[in-house]
Amino acid sequence: MSKFKKKDGKAAPGINTSSLPDIVFMLLFFFMVATTTKEIDPMVQVRPAKGIGMTDLTPFKQRSEVDFVYLGAPLKGDSDKFEKGIAVQYDGILHKDGIRHIRQWKQEKFATKPAEFTAPREEVMTCFKADEQVPMGILFEAREILEEINFNTIGYAASEKGTNQTYSIRQQ
Amino acid sequence: MAKREAPEINAGSMADIAFLLLIFFLVTTTMDKDTAYMRKIPKKVEVLDPEPVQKKNIYKISINSKQNIQARDSIIKPEDIEQLNSRIKHFYLINRGKSVDRNVDYPYYAVVSKTIIDGNIAKAYTQLDNYERLAEKETKYEKYMEQAENEIAEWNRKKKMLDIYTRASGKSDMPEIAFQAHVRLESFLDTDYSAYVAVQSEIEKAVTELRDEEAKTLFGITYTAMRQYYQTNMLERTPKVQEYKEKMDLIELLFPLRIIEVKPKR
Repeated sequence: MSKFKKKDGKAAPGINTSSLPDIVFMLLFFFMVATTTKEIDPMVQVRPAKGIGMTDLTPFKQRSEVDFVYLGAPLKGDSDKFEKGIAVQYDGILHKDGIRHIRQWKQEKFATKPAEFTAPREEVMTCFKADEQVPMGILFEAREILEEINFNTIGYAASEKGTNQTYSIRQQ
Repeated sequence: MAKREAPEINAGSMADIAFLLLIFFLVTTTMDKDTAYMRKIPKKVEVLDPEPVQKKNIYKISINSKQNIQARDSIIKPEDIEQLNSRIKHFYLINRGKSVDRNVDYPYYAVVSKTIIDGNIAKAYTQLDNYERLAEKETKYEKYMEQAENEIAEWNRKKKMLDIYTRASGKSDMPEIAFQAHVRLESFLDTDYSAYVAVQSEIEKAVTELRDEEAKTLFGITYTAMRQYYQTNMLERTPKVQEYKEKMDLIELLFPLRIIEVKPKR
C-alpha cells in the first residue's frame, strides 16, 4: 500500500575515493612549504618570552649566520647538578661547564662553517633561546665572553605576542 | 582475436602512501618561525678624551629582581609596561625640529645642512694637516690623525644621507638627534629573561613605529617592509637592494636605536 517501497537486500553505493590521494597530496605540499624542519630536540624546558616586532631569523638560518643556545631547566635528570638550576644546551649536549663552554663552542662552530657562507666573525649571530625565568646574569656572562672573542651580534629569542595578549612577566 | 585492454592499476593505496608522507612531515617539522631581537655588543675602542654624557641624553630604564620597572623617575608596574612605548616616543620627539623653547631634560636636535657639513669637512682636513706635521715629531699624534680621518669619512657619509633626504622631502635641513642620545637598560643579576625581553620589545616597537612613519612620508614605503626585503635578499647586489639599504641608513640616522645594555652588578 505504501508509496515508499523498502529497498531490501541492496547495499549503499560505495563512495568514489579516487580523488582522495589528490586532496591528501595537496595537504602534504602545503605542510612541506609552510613548515620548517626542527634542527634539534630541546633538552631543556623553554617557555618562550613574548615580544613584538622581532626580526625573522629564517634568512639568517639559510645563510647559516646564526647559532642557537638553549637555556632552561633540564627536562630529564636533576636540575640541582647545574648552576642555579639552569642547563645550557649547545646543539645536542648539555655541557657541564654551563655558559662558560660558549667560548670553545663558538670558535669550533665558526671554524666549521661552510665555505660559501663567509660572514665575518662580528656578524655571526648567537641567539639565546632562554626560558622565561632564566636570570639575566647568565646571559650577561655569555655576552662578556662573546665580546672577548669578537662575536659581536647576539639575538634575544622571543615569540610573537598576539595583539590582545599580555607580556608573560612573572609578578612577585 | 580481440584486442586485450591494458589492465588498470589499482590506485586505492595511493591515499595511504600520501597520508604516511603527510604524517611524517607533520611530526618532523615545526610551524613556528624563529624570531629574535638582534643586538650588537659594542666593540672595545679607546676613545681619546671622551666627552661625558649629558643627563638629558640618557633614557634610563631599570628592571629589578621583582620585575618592577623604573623609567627615568617613574615606577612602572609590570602590567603597565605598554606605557613605555609613548614615553620613549616622547623622548625622541619632544625637541624634534625645535631650535628655541626646548625642553632641557630631553635630547636636543641639531640641524644638518650642506654648509655645515662642508664647513666641518674643511675643518677636519686642516686639523688632519696639523696632526700630520706634529706626527713627525711625536708618534702619539698618529692616533689623533686616525680620529680625524674617521671624522671626515663620517661627514661624507652624512652628506650623502642629506642628499637622499633633500631629494625625498624637498627640505634642505635635516633634523638630527644628539649623537649621545640613547636608552640605557639596566637589570639585576636575577631579573627574568621575559621581563627583559618585554622591555626590549617596547623599545623596539616605539622606535620602529617612529621609523615606519618617517619612511612612509619620505619614501611611501615603511621601514619594516624595506628591512624585510633587504634581509631576505642582502646577498644579491641588485640596484633595489642598494637603494633600500641607503634609504634604511637614512631612516636609521634620523631615528637611531641606541641601546646600552649595562652589565648587572647585583
